[in-house]
Amino acid sequence: MYDLVIVGGGPGGVAAGVYAARKKLNTVVVAENFGGQSAVSADIQNWIGTKSVSGFDLAKNLEEHLRAQQDLEIVDGDLVTKVEKADGGFKVSTRGGKLLDTKTILVASGSRHRRLGVPGEDRLDGKGVVWCSTCDAPLFGGKTVAVVGAGNAGLEAVRDSLAYASKVYLIVRGEVIKGDPQTLEEIKKDSRLEIMYLAETQEILGDKFVTGLKYLDKKDNQVKELKVDGVFVEIGAVPNVEFLGDLVKKDQYNAIIVDHTTQQTSQLGIWAAGDVTSLLYRQNNISAGDAVKAVLNINDYLSKINRS
Amino acid sequence: MAKNITIYSTPTCVYCKMAKEFFKKNNVQYTEHNVAEDEKAREEMVEKSHQLGVPVIDIDGEVHVGFNRSELERALGLK
Repeated sequence: MYDLVIVGGGPGGVAAGVYAARKKLNTVVVAENFGGQSAVSADIQNWIGTKSVSGFDLAKNLEEHLRAQQDLEIVDGDLVTKVEKADGGFKVSTRGGKLLDTKTILVASGSRHRRLGVPGEDRLDGKGVVWCSTCDAPLFGGKTVAVVGAGNAGLEAVRDSLAYASKVYLIVRGEVIKGDPQTLEEIKKDSRLEIMYLAETQEILGDKFVTGLKYLDKKDNQVKELKVDGVFVEIGAVPNVEFLGDLVKKDQYNAIIVDHTTQQTSQLGIWAAGDVTSLLYRQNNISAGDAVKAVLNINDYLSKINRS
Repeated sequence: MAKNITIYSTPTCVYCKMAKEFFKKNNVQYTEHNVAEDEKAREEMVEKSHQLGVPVIDIDGEVHVGFNRSELERALGLK
């Protein structure tokens, strides 16, 4: 029986793995990939201790650091699909058919793209609807694209697009842009960017490929259309919690509620850290720190139950 | 016999890099087309995959969109 199963290979999962190995906990890390969501980021300038690193290199560094730990088991290319309560702990099932018995679990499974939920989005997925701007922005050279969402990821998608596209619309639902002012200043200098405030996306248009975007202009309550060849959707994230069923309490956004002093969930024996939890700020550094906090608390918990 | 493998990629695409690293690790030979610049290859990619997103990986005519390691392992007979 394992002491600890760590779910996830982002900054949280890796930080937890390193600390668990150093505490000599009998641990297995299950990760589909390493690096988390920012693996696709072109340039990360706020990972502390590193002035600038690409998401790809950050992912590689994280994987290397994890693999350098002695006696740490890593199941990669696999995904946790189910967690059930069992005698003395939990049973964890994976897509690859593994069944892991463990005393405790740390959930650091992160989150994934939130979808708009408008007509055309699914049908034109990959046909002009883009989820990875660093990947696909180069395919829109000389074309017109719309970026939906004005958080950091949205602003970065604008920056990625401006390197290739001839015209970029930024579709902002509200009156303010929430992303970093530094990125905003930078992209605003480019006259090819047009920012549409109070614009609610209603439909993505196109037959075989995207040809336009329909939105409600809340300034005059008129439905309008933009002619675009691509729509980059960056409207936030939804937590990856499906495999937990009803084992832990979640908030209205389906994020796991934790005690922020220990990262414990409502279920004794399960901890959670990073973007899968109901935290205010989704940051690599925070995920790593919260995961470390969790492992230290798990270590205390295991010493206690092993003593009794 | 070695399989005929083509990857359509862009220079900034992380999943393309992951796929290429995966090929290298497994000593798999491949041909790469940078579809950010090569318009002919881009058209070829769209024709094969009916979509516009990278990476597209063609393994002996079997077309894979995106990087899914277990899918590639199966397609290449590595597992």
